Amino acid sequence: MKNIKLYTSLLFFFLAITSNAQEDAWEKWGPTAGLKSGGFIARAGYVIGGTTPLPLPAEVRKINGFSPRGGISIGVDGYRMFTKRWGISAGAHFFWEGFHTDADVKNYYVWLEQEGEITKGYFTGTNVTNTELWGVTLPLLATLRMSPRWNVSAGPYLSLYFDQTFSGEVFDNSKGIGYLREDTPTGTKILMSRENPTPYPDNFPDKMQPVAVGIEIAFDWKAMRHMNVFGLLDWGMTDIWDRNFEAITFKMYPIYATLGVAYRY
Amino acid sequence: MNKTTFVALVGIPLLLASCIAAEQDNTECDIEAVSLHFDTPSDIFYHDYDTMMTVISSETNIEFVVRSYANVQSVPLTLRVTEGATIFIKSEDGTDVPFQNGSLVDFSDERIQRFHIVSEDKSWSRDYSISVVHEAPSEGNLFIDFEDYSLDPSGKYYQWVAPDVFTDGMWKNGNPGFKISKSSAKPLEYPSTPVAGGGPDGSACLKLETCDTGPFGKMVNMRLASGSMFNGIFDVGNALTDALKATQFGTPYLHKPIMMRGWFKFEPGSVFQDRMGNPIEGVIDEPDAYVVLYRNEDESGNKIQLDGNDVLSSPYIIGKGRLPHHYNADGTDQLTANPIHGLTSEWQEVTIPVVYTTEPDPTILQNKGYSIILGFASSWGGAYFKGAIGSKFCIDNIELFCE
Repeated sequence: MKNIKLYTSLLFFFLAITSNAQEDAWEKWGPTAGLKSGGFIARAGYVIGGTTPLPLPAEVRKINGFSPRGGISIGVDGYRMFTKRWGISAGAHFFWEGFHTDADVKNYYVWLEQEGEITKGYFTGTNVTNTELWGVTLPLLATLRMSPRWNVSAGPYLSLYFDQTFSGEVFDNSKGIGYLREDTPTGTKILMSRENPTPYPDNFPDKMQPVAVGIEIAFDWKAMRHMNVFGLLDWGMTDIWDRNFEAITFKMYPIYATLGVAYRY
Repeated sequence: MNKTTFVALVGIPLLLASCIAAEQDNTECDIEAVSLHFDTPSDIFYHDYDTMMTVISSETNIEFVVRSYANVQSVPLTLRVTEGATIFIKSEDGTDVPFQNGSLVDFSDERIQRFHIVSEDKSWSRDYSISVVHEAPSEGNLFIDFEDYSLDPSGKYYQWVAPDVFTDGMWKNGNPGFKISKSSAKPLEYPSTPVAGGGPDGSACLKLETCDTGPFGKMVNMRLASGSMFNGIFDVGNALTDALKATQFGTPYLHKPIMMRGWFKFEPGSVFQDRMGNPIEGVIDEPDAYVVLYRNEDESGNKIQLDGNDVLSSPYIIGKGRLPHHYNADGTDQLTANPIHGLTSEWQEVTIPVVYTTEPDPTILQNKGYSIILGFASSWGGAYFKGAIGSKFCIDNIELFCE
């Protein structure tokens, strides 16, 4: 968290000393109908990020691979400036986001339940996870116009998921080590291999929360009179799993960034 | 400038997420292998390879078999344990004494030595026993009535005591594997079960039944489990990766089997299915029963252990007797609608002679150079997860006749 504070204060400092623009610049790059009016921003962006425990639990020994899945966000925000610098915005961003990750784990507790049958224990080896999320994020942000062409907005959001997938499989790592100790670390050692990987049960998505709450931070740069370049970060503050879901013992949070262009009016 | 911002935006969460925490100490505490050291192993063991034994994860009683006259009063012993684990040996008064690999251990008078292994993180421990048993004279003929059975320590499934000469003195079967896939099953819902009063003589018999392995079995394309019974080792650890390797058949034997006789009855399940669970029209499931004698050492002195891949086809087999089937020599034939095994749903006595392609060498035989397999299954394609769910094969009063 220290990093964020540092970056943010540096950014503000930098902007403060460079924003020596003229009043006509504020007019030119402001809302179309005047400095204290409102408008809308239609956004299209590329989404990249992941759903991750924070911090990573000690069971995760190595991330072998990470790649985004999906990665589209389309939305619109309405905004209203109350002063030259301050305003609010609210909107709806429809997204399709997700990722694939491949990690080596040690002693990773798994608890799998299917149709009343339960397999549980401690897994050591490689764990592959894929997740995709479809939904809409509804942010409610306070906007600070730092300079004629720069806006920063921050505030809470609510995400509603229309559909979620969470799949994966376990097998041996690159050293050929892959096994489950049934029930406890002294239980039967059941070997796993990449020739015959063991998939996650297909009921994981049923255990995912349909909503998420988090904090959004958005940076808008007015590249042209009606076009913004933007970057925003949606940092989930709620666990994606049902509270009573035993398969995954740690909380996982969706953290996704969107980079894109917007039409501004 | 916008670049910097974007890098910060994406970089911060990734930075936070990529911090790998310090590795935690191992929690496991297994004996993975045991070695006894002798200057001339062949004076002590029947095979040089017997000086080292790998221990499967579910095993805690480790037993070496040595020649009847072997002196095992002070034997240097080495244990290979999980990395970081500590070894203790239980002294006479029951206290744990740290054990140094290579120390001398007294195995005389069939003494059982007990070991306590503590994991690197000190939170877990396992108890093992190690003993050295002298080969006792044995008569080759066996009578097996499957009367001596009990629940396993977990209370989930049945297990049967086997003739002493068989590995661990226990019959082996796929029940431990079935437990992994179908945790909800009651002991009598397992593939291998006893039937009290079910035998032809009114005592207990053995029932092997091909069972559905449930949703987890389906996930890994192992949709059914044939009921099974054999002598050797069932290494449940291999059940998912290489199921054919999980069944390690045979025990060294000093006698030449010539015939197996027993009481059998069989009812096929209604729908024969392939590994993917597709029903196969016109095929009726068949049981399997066999006795095999094979050479358990190759030309270079390496151990030969038959498993599900070659239990009936290995070139090391010298003698074999099997319930009749319509099979090709290589076992590739599809089953037909007209089984010739002759079993019905009524008890009948069946004789299976052992046919030899090579006569056993008497010297090799005396030195435990051959291993015997007695094997039974409710679906003969069960090793490949083919069969009919519900096939029932009942077995009782097996007699083995030796020369």
